[in-house]
Amino acid sequence: MAEQAGARAGVTAAGSEPAAGAAGPAAAGGGRIECESVYKWFPGGIVLEDVSLAVDSGQFVCIVGPSGCGKTTLLRMMAGLAEPDHGRVTIGGSTVTGPDPRVAVVFQHFGLFPWKSVYRNVALPLQLAKVARDELDSRVTEALRAVGLAGHERKFPAQLSGGMKQRAGLARALAAAPDVLLMDEPFAAVDAQVREVLQEDLLALRDRLRQTIVFITHSIDEAITLGDRILVMDARPGRVVRDITVPIEQPRTISQVRHHPAYAGLRDEIWGQLRQSAIDRAGDQ
Amino acid sequence: MIDPASTTPAPLGPAAGARPAGTGPGGTGAGGPGAAGTREQIDAAIAERRRRRERRERRVYRAIRIGSLVVVLAAWQWYGMHSISIIFDPITTVLAALGHLWTQGGLPGAIWYSLWTFVLGYLSGLIAGVVIGMCVGAYQKAEAAVGLYLQALYATPMVAVVPLLSIWFGFGVLTQELIIALFVLFPSVVTVSYGVRNLDADLLEVARSLRMSRMNLWRHVLIPGTVPYIAAGAAQGVAMGLVGMFIAEIFTQLSGLGNLLQTAAQTYHTDQALAVIVVIMTLGVLLRALITVVQRKVAPWAK
Ligand SMILES: Nc1ncnc2c1ncn2[C@@H]1O[C@H](COP(=O)(O)OP(=O)(O)OP(=O)(O)O)[C@@H](O)[C@H]1O
Ligand SMILES: [Mg+2]
Repeated sequence: MAEQAGARAGVTAAGSEPAAGAAGPAAAGGGRIECESVYKWFPGGIVLEDVSLAVDSGQFVCIVGPSGCGKTTLLRMMAGLAEPDHGRVTIGGSTVTGPDPRVAVVFQHFGLFPWKSVYRNVALPLQLAKVARDELDSRVTEALRAVGLAGHERKFPAQLSGGMKQRAGLARALAAAPDVLLMDEPFAAVDAQVREVLQEDLLALRDRLRQTIVFITHSIDEAITLGDRILVMDARPGRVVRDITVPIEQPRTISQVRHHPAYAGLRDEIWGQLRQSAIDRAGDQ
Repeated sequence: MIDPASTTPAPLGPAAGARPAGTGPGGTGAGGPGAAGTREQIDAAIAERRRRRERRERRVYRAIRIGSLVVVLAAWQWYGMHSISIIFDPITTVLAALGHLWTQGGLPGAIWYSLWTFVLGYLSGLIAGVVIGMCVGAYQKAEAAVGLYLQALYATPMVAVVPLLSIWFGFGVLTQELIIALFVLFPSVVTVSYGVRNLDADLLEVARSLRMSRMNLWRHVLIPGTVPYIAAGAAQGVAMGLVGMFIAEIFTQLSGLGNLLQTAAQTYHTDQALAVIVVIMTLGVLLRALITVVQRKVAPWAK
């Protein structure tokens, strides 16, 4: 336990160095995300209608909402993987026109290359950025240690459990020292116990790394546990219907959150909103 | 046969498990940090047991394989002995014919010749197939340009173009190579282009989010991701290529194993014909095994 905490502290130093070199995301507002009246249509109809939101640099925002309300679409636009049909998305003040090196994505199904070892998967973004060998090695090693994967460098993804795969996916995102981390249901594919451990570890990590994080989840508990702020979306058309600040101080642990006086109220509030949406939709049909 | 084999080791299992378990309490009794030691010992015991089980299973499978080989060979021998020699021969006769062909019938030369034509034709067909398959799979424009012809040719039985090829290129080695290459080409084009097209869309999205250049996309994603399909195409190509080789040799009557077979059959030397077939089968099996070994070396992550 102590060893792990030490490892984390170690990473923090190494992880924040490159960030500091980039003038520090939190200080310079390099990680601020803004969506200005974003619209998105698909052949099936309008998916996002007039979505405007701002995420401050270093903020941890969770997005919850019914299936198909456009959460993934919104995240992909922030990642530069999709374009808004109207409006714009900016990161650190500049309009997103495509994938950006300041932004790292953690995928629901891990997105690890089966033919690369854990080490090589994590090293890939740095390798592509032509980072020098020594620096690459130290950054990869630190990132792997940060997520608790030290000693598994040479394994292939097929040899890892689901939880470990997502740790590797997270390490790959962290190794690139981004200002913004975008996570689309990153823990949905692992079982409940592992999920809680991953949540704890993510809380501990982000407390030191201070990236801007946008985290999509279907779990209200997860959103409250992790987020500084929760955006609740509704479907058809997809839009943000609630913007809730979580009044639980950071750093936190899962049990602190569960026993916090505000916890039950928040849960009810979000659940009430989601249920209302579901009832409205059921009435439509 | 199988029942006793699988039940006998069963009492062995607990016995094997008991040994490390027996040392376990000793370890904990010895001192404080025994807990870690015991867990390691239990892990080791489990691993050891799994290894034993795997070894046992492997032994069972090998026994089944050998048993089935014995049964087939015995049946062959029995049937051959009770059949007219023009129609079928017992193994002993076939082996004798094999020996005769080897020493006096020019079998080594035929094998050498066939193998060389095969390897050259096979490799050129496979390489062309992989390159075309990858381009067609990766680029819609390439697919639009040549997809139709590929499909038409793939649907054509290659045997049909053999006479044409010999009109165009004569009855020489070149024609043989071409025939083999064509037999290998189309299955590998289809398999490889399918492989490229079915690459995990998630991984392509990861590649995009990492802003990979086209070069890097090929290097880190497209080529390694298609290796299992290339291997499948290569294995399939061995079978198809051998068919092509035979057809080429029988058709051009030049030399090699096909010619040997043809000669033997035309002169009603059934034993020799069977001997050549045994040689071919063995070659086919060996070549496929070679492909598997190469695949394991090149792509250890793909089973
Ligand atoms: N490429 C596409 N073409 C057509 N329709 C699409 C496309 N991508 C998404 N959609 C539609 O847009 C809507 C929103 O999709 P999106 O994946 O963003 O939802 P989501 O909120 O992430 O849902 P979930 O919670 O199930 O992941 C869905 O109705 C989906 O069918
Ligand atoms: Mg989604």
